[in-house]
Amino acid sequence: MNKVFTVFKKEILDSLRDRRTLLTAVVMPIVLMPAIMIGSVKFQEAQITKAAEKPVLLAVENQQSAPTLLDFLNKQKQVELKQVENFDQGIEAGTINVYLNVETDFEANLKTQKPTEVRVVQKSSNVDSSTAYSKVINLLQAFNQEQARIRLSQKGLATETLSALKPVSVDIATAQERGGFFIGLLLPMFIVVFAIAGGMYIAIDVSAGEKERKTLEALLLSPASRLQLVAGKFAAVAATASASIILSMFSLYFAFKFFPPKFGTEVVEINLTLGAIGIMLLVGVIMAIMFSGLLLSVAIFAKSYKEAQNYITPFYLLAILPVAIFAQLPGLKPSLGMFFIPGVNAVFVMKEVLIKTFDSAHIFITFGSLIIYAVIAVIAASKIYSKEGILFRD
Amino acid sequence: MLRVKQLSKFFNGFAAVKEVSFQANGGEIFGLLGPNGAGKTTTIRVIATVLTPTSGTAEVASFDILKAPEKVRQNLGLLTSEIGLYDRFTARENLRYFGNLYGLAGQALEDRIDYLVEILDMQKFADRRAGKFSTGMKQKVAIARSIIHDPKVIIFDEPTAGLDVLASQTVIDYMQTARKEGKLVVLSTHDMAHAQKLCDRVAIMHQGKIIAVDSQAKIYQQTQADNLEDAFLKILGADAAKSALKAKEAFELRWLSKKHKRFGL
Repeated sequence: MNKVFTVFKKEILDSLRDRRTLLTAVVMPIVLMPAIMIGSVKFQEAQITKAAEKPVLLAVENQQSAPTLLDFLNKQKQVELKQVENFDQGIEAGTINVYLNVETDFEANLKTQKPTEVRVVQKSSNVDSSTAYSKVINLLQAFNQEQARIRLSQKGLATETLSALKPVSVDIATAQERGGFFIGLLLPMFIVVFAIAGGMYIAIDVSAGEKERKTLEALLLSPASRLQLVAGKFAAVAATASASIILSMFSLYFAFKFFPPKFGTEVVEINLTLGAIGIMLLVGVIMAIMFSGLLLSVAIFAKSYKEAQNYITPFYLLAILPVAIFAQLPGLKPSLGMFFIPGVNAVFVMKEVLIKTFDSAHIFITFGSLIIYAVIAVIAASKIYSKEGILFRD
Repeated sequence: MLRVKQLSKFFNGFAAVKEVSFQANGGEIFGLLGPNGAGKTTTIRVIATVLTPTSGTAEVASFDILKAPEKVRQNLGLLTSEIGLYDRFTARENLRYFGNLYGLAGQALEDRIDYLVEILDMQKFADRRAGKFSTGMKQKVAIARSIIHDPKVIIFDEPTAGLDVLASQTVIDYMQTARKEGKLVVLSTHDMAHAQKLCDRVAIMHQGKIIAVDSQAKIYQQTQADNLEDAFLKILGADAAKSALKAKEAFELRWLSKKHKRFGL
């Protein structure tokens, strides 16, 4: 036990002096994760407000023949009326987004209550133009309703007579769920990434690194057993990966506390109670332990740093890919079987916890299967370490 | 103190070491000589329990390598030909880590490190990180590391490779001190001049086999040589001729049998 601790202490100290490990395991999760999360939220917010505030640049061809319509459009805050020489070129140049082509008999038809064609000209391949187009269509609809109201009231009828039904939109997702849905995509993904990335450099350093520096043989010559050596190294990798996850979660917690994300006018609440954080940390740490065992098993096959990185890259993709796919499917209801897939199960449990819809069976299966995988990974690593062919593959 | 019995080691059917037997005792420097690829390093690795033998066994300080590998490692100090240190640790920290792994700790370990720093003349760089050490400095730390636990049996594989004359002398002095203290020093080397100067007895390995084990005087007598290098070359030459003859005979036999078959005999 003493020797296990000796190895553990040495590997931790060694990796603390290694800039690469420090960067991937400590600096990245503290700085990068909140930066990306908060950054993407703020970016989205900014995009939404920008799009909402931007007025439609509108021109009307034959505007002298439609004074009523022009008057209506002038009152709209979302519209900025423009004068241009050539309407099509105006859209191309961006001086206007959309223009209306009004027939000369528009005003006369309005008086006699006959509908007149108004062409709404847009360029659908231009994003600004097509966004403005739908806004203009809505406005013209509003103009129609306004006219209908006037005509009906002249005949002594209420506007309601025209409406058979009144659709009312209701969203039963709570603010928490909407927040959790967004956070449920990115946050768990990052946690899986950090569970691997946090332990990656130290895993390579303690296994393939020992071979590359030619210190492995001296280590094997010591009276410490192979199992003690693996246990110490494994503990160091697992501790680093866990620390990386814990750091990233706390840093994220504080980031969200001080910069709560907003969508439109609503402040989105995220379930960051102590219990939720506790469950997420536990899932994260067990996952880190499991990935550490796997990383150590993979990296020991390599003779050098470079080779180890080559082996770990496909492993990394293999672990991340299902997570990336499943986490991106918005309406996916995970089946019970999915909670046996390492990484994916953690993502779903975290998502459920974040939006407070968790199922104790899911949490139980996730914990259970992750612990079993972790044990298998550790046993595999120590078996591989007692194979002389792998240790002396010159 | 070291007893090697019928030791063989095969790698995927290739015999790196074939039925090697020899014995060496405390208070002597025993030379293990042979050309590159003779199987010296493999023999040493098996003795040090880093590799497991295919057949046969060995005893280090009366502990069997198969039955008590951890006791063997506790009593054996091996300097491998491939030296590596932890670059981000100082020389002292490197030594302290291995001291801990050998079960040493506290003041006893610090005293031992101080002693090794002094006798191997490492005062100038003992507290510097190993990453920027020269070959000679690394070699000295590696030597200190291999004997940190004051083992009864010391095996040095090319200990003076890469060292200048002064540093070599430090290592040679240490080997002589160890002999005086009653330890067994096994020296595996290509450097015949050093071997001649230091070794009490030598074993010569060729193609995985030991082809001669004796005191230097007896080996000179047998080969009618007056220095180790000549004796070594003569023994090796005789062995190569023998195996060439064997190969030729085997080839002729095959050829003959083929010919017989062809003519339906």
